[in-house]
Amino acid sequence: MSDNGFFGSFGGKYVAEVLRRPLDELEDAFNRATIDAAFLEELRLLQRDFIGRPTPLYFAENATKALGGAQIFIKMEGLAHTGAHKINNALGQALLAKTMGKTRIIAETGAGQHGLATAAACAKLGMPCEVFMGEVDIRRQQPNVAAMEMYGAKVIAVKSGSKTLKDAINEAMRDWAAQFDTTHYVIGSALGPAPFPDMVRFFQSVIGKEVQEQSKERKLDVAALCACVGGGSNAIGFFSPFIEKKEPRLIGAEAGGIGPGPNENAVRMSGSAAKDGIVHGYKSRFLLDEDGQVAETRSISAGLDYPGIGPQLASLGLSGRIEFRAITDEKALEALQFFARQEGILFAMESAHAGAVAMQMAKEIPANKAIIINMSGRGDKDIFITSPVFRPVEWELFLQSELDRLHQGVDIHYAKALPSAQKNEGNR
Amino acid sequence: MSNQNQVQLMAHLVAGYPNLAISLSVADALVQGGASFLEIQLAFSDPSADGPAIQTACASTLAKGFTTKKGFEFIAEVNQRHPNIPLFLMTYASLAYAPGIESFIKKAKEVGVKGVIIPDLPFDQDEGLIAACQKNGIAYIPVAAPSMTPERLHKMTQAKFTYIYAALRAGITGSKTTIDDQTLRFLDAVASGGAKVLGGFGVRTGEQTKSLSNHVYAVVAGSVFINEITAHYNPQNEVESKIKIASAIEAKAKEIIGG
Repeated sequence: MSDNGFFGSFGGKYVAEVLRRPLDELEDAFNRATIDAAFLEELRLLQRDFIGRPTPLYFAENATKALGGAQIFIKMEGLAHTGAHKINNALGQALLAKTMGKTRIIAETGAGQHGLATAAACAKLGMPCEVFMGEVDIRRQQPNVAAMEMYGAKVIAVKSGSKTLKDAINEAMRDWAAQFDTTHYVIGSALGPAPFPDMVRFFQSVIGKEVQEQSKERKLDVAALCACVGGGSNAIGFFSPFIEKKEPRLIGAEAGGIGPGPNENAVRMSGSAAKDGIVHGYKSRFLLDEDGQVAETRSISAGLDYPGIGPQLASLGLSGRIEFRAITDEKALEALQFFARQEGILFAMESAHAGAVAMQMAKEIPANKAIIINMSGRGDKDIFITSPVFRPVEWELFLQSELDRLHQGVDIHYAKALPSAQKNEGNR
Repeated sequence: MSNQNQVQLMAHLVAGYPNLAISLSVADALVQGGASFLEIQLAFSDPSADGPAIQTACASTLAKGFTTKKGFEFIAEVNQRHPNIPLFLMTYASLAYAPGIESFIKKAKEVGVKGVIIPDLPFDQDEGLIAACQKNGIAYIPVAAPSMTPERLHKMTQAKFTYIYAALRAGITGSKTTIDDQTLRFLDAVASGGAKVLGGFGVRTGEQTKSLSNHVYAVVAGSVFINEITAHYNPQNEVESKIKIASAIEAKAKEIIGG
């Protein structure tokens, strides 16, 4: 837990007074819920039956052999309902909101995974849900918009500012400030003003607790845990039971993007570009320009494409308990392909960054020890991002023919066959 | 308190919106229209306490290459033109924290700023802002909200701030505000410790001003001016835009004051 909202010098409640009361009330309710047996039991059952917990700890035998070093294990969070760890937090917060008597849920989303998880949790708990999403993100993440709407959520296009994730956060904060007596705002990552970082870690810590039990059961000698870090909700939940211990090594993979230059990545911890700042209600390490304006970031993975990092992770990074490494888009794509071919497991682009770190480290660690990768999400959602990379010609033909079919109103059984793409080099 | 018919106006503008030249004439027009104070906002990329109109204005300003340095130069220029109009600087924590709060406030003092409003540096988590303001003879102006608990509001009003900015409703700047008995009771509570109350958020009409006049030291209006600028700005014709915006702003300021 934080010390009154702070982790070392990071964290806090740097918000306008309009948000102070909703945050204070939420903090009280959250503190009560963590010791409320009925709440915790209801959460446990939902985790088991709705999310599908525990998720497996999978021995990646082929990958281990191919890498020739430490045993590689994968925590399969991507098998959780809606395809990622996001549901752990969304469901927990929605349940908490319901016990607080709130009748409406709002959320922000960037790529759409958190919005999707929140929409599903709200459908399950019978609460109306509105998801704020930047107009630019809506354009590039249509499949998740369609799925959120399928769960009955209303997706609200945010047209202010840069029309992306940070503007969606602002818009959700604004809505919450005006209607907090009826509404709860489910933040999707372990950041924002207190109590959100504590609360999100609490609901995500189920990942780490399961890993602790599963590795004990199998008598694993765990040398390192690897997780990707955007805002950091999967990482802090995965690392949570081990933070106070000296072992294992905890490694966070940041988005190295297309290179080390300004605006080319989202490296807050392993490089020298970030500085202390106060943004979105909390103090942490941020990518800022010299005036303190939030810098543009870049990553192939939408979930890591964020200029800040959860305050607890930033603090643990400075203290040395967590090591951070930057993984480029290219390395992440290699890891994606490696685990897909070796294990028949498709990582989300975000999680592939964690996979890439394990690939780098495997040889440095002896074969009697284990490295555990948190596969925070599965990769189905990334088909619109990976297809243009791995099979650009076929993908274009497919999209074109689907569009033609839609325009002509032809049933798939009667549509004309896809023109065959030249299956040769040049596709890769 | 001001008299029954004429309430003081603190008019808000974003430095550099829609560009530096026109925003300077906006400042002139606000003063011409009767504003007694100017609240000058330095654009930040993530202005979470502002409504969409101001947020979009800030984004556009930044896209045109606004920097804190240009913002301070702008304030210095406004101060030179209107030495009798107190200037209050509004921005967000990140812009003050990045160069160091002390040095930011020192710079503000140099260009003639009389008070600062930084909503995400609240009075009990201010990062040394209050001390830096005191040292430089600048007012730290906290923002009170109707949703505050009575205990917290009491703590704020008893802290001997010269001014308190009172948000007239629970939302954020720029949307609809109805002024009712509850609002007036809140304003009176904000004033109870002796602070001069600057009342704003959603003030658009002379009617609203009239009902506030006995309960505030000045009314604050912002989004309403931004909307006038946005409506009358045509990037294809800078000269005509400047004239049209200036006359619209002046008329709007007069309307709000009720003059």
